[in-house]
Amino acid sequence: MDASTRQHWLHGFLDLCLLALLAERRDYGRGLAERLADAGFDDVPGGTLYPALLRLEKQGFVRTEREPSVTGPPRKYYELTDLGHAAMRERRDAWQQFRAAMSTVVEGASRAPNGPGSVR
Amino acid sequence: MTASHWESELRVHLVEAGIEAVEAVELARDAAAEAEAAGLHPDSMYGPAVAYAATLASTVRRASVTAAPLARELGAVVLRVSGVTKAYRRRQVLREVDLTLRAGEVAAIVGANGSGKSTLLNICAGLTRASSGSVERTSRIGYAPQHDGVSALLTPAEHFRLFGAVYGMSPKKSVALGTRLAAQLGWRPRKDVVASQLSGGTQQKLNVVLAELNRPDLILLDEPYQGFDQDSYLDFWDQVFRWRDGGAGVLVVTHMLHDLDRVDHVLELRPVEES
Repeated sequence: MDASTRQHWLHGFLDLCLLALLAERRDYGRGLAERLADAGFDDVPGGTLYPALLRLEKQGFVRTEREPSVTGPPRKYYELTDLGHAAMRERRDAWQQFRAAMSTVVEGASRAPNGPGSVR
Repeated sequence: MTASHWESELRVHLVEAGIEAVEAVELARDAAAEAEAAGLHPDSMYGPAVAYAATLASTVRRASVTAAPLARELGAVVLRVSGVTKAYRRRQVLREVDLTLRAGEVAAIVGANGSGKSTLLNICAGLTRASSGSVERTSRIGYAPQHDGVSALLTPAEHFRLFGAVYGMSPKKSVALGTRLAAQLGWRPRKDVVASQLSGGTQQKLNVVLAELNRPDLILLDEPYQGFDQDSYLDFWDQVFRWRDGGAGVLVVTHMLHDLDRVDHVLELRPVEES
């Protein structure tokens, strides 16, 4: 499957992924990008990642803090607010329902390999 | 282009897109710092500054709309259309249309081409007479039709002065206000360009700014077909809801049928059958 379709999928779930990673622990932008890559996602371009973080900040889901770094410019750290934790739980529940529905449909289809499309 | 050049490009484009200067400086500095920490040129990390500025600006604008939904109080009736019928000679365009719109509400007019949407908008604005029925409206209205609202040979600033004069504003104040309203739509008018040289989406922004110049209680507008710009279709509706939250009643002729769950009234027009 081509990478752009996978990008498109991740786009729809990126906010939830970031909320979930930040619920685990606070992090800075590149740290989050690395954790997404470690989880098996394709590289998330900066032009997608940072606007998503800005959106979460504007929505009041994360607060930010700059900390000096020994290797370069100060790092901007992101941390979930109480509102962000609540949003994460709500979206996680919605995701679980969605995932169950997807499994029923997609994996149901794979059990009938010849499917109903083979008429004539 | 050096990284610091990219940063200043981004800052300039953010301001052009209507972001406050202080926030633009901070966003540009953060973006450059992240790229430097990653050891990448910002261009390869985010793409061209102009495109990235558009993405960031629309993120900021959209957030400001959804961040704090205001408790809405319905205000006075700003438009009441009762039993309006319109016929051109023997061709009937509208039959028995009713609509009541209050301050702080949004109404959408939908319907196929030829169902009389623009005719109804003109009747609400008082530019076309109904054949029968009545229209009551508040005195301060703003009207942004899809076409014909702008004068081809005037610059945006000249439009602001002209319309400001109608509302009794000084030329200086008109231009300052027009420029500020334009910035909210992500548009910074250039001084040396006349309206006929603007793109269709930008002409419609000019229309919308002119409609808003007198802080109207009732705003009547035709939705631009492609949104204001490609990719920013949503910004049009953000602006509609911002006016609503500012206390205006907004009536929109719309060609797209999504997003209607956020409006208060939907008036569907059907072509009147020949009788």
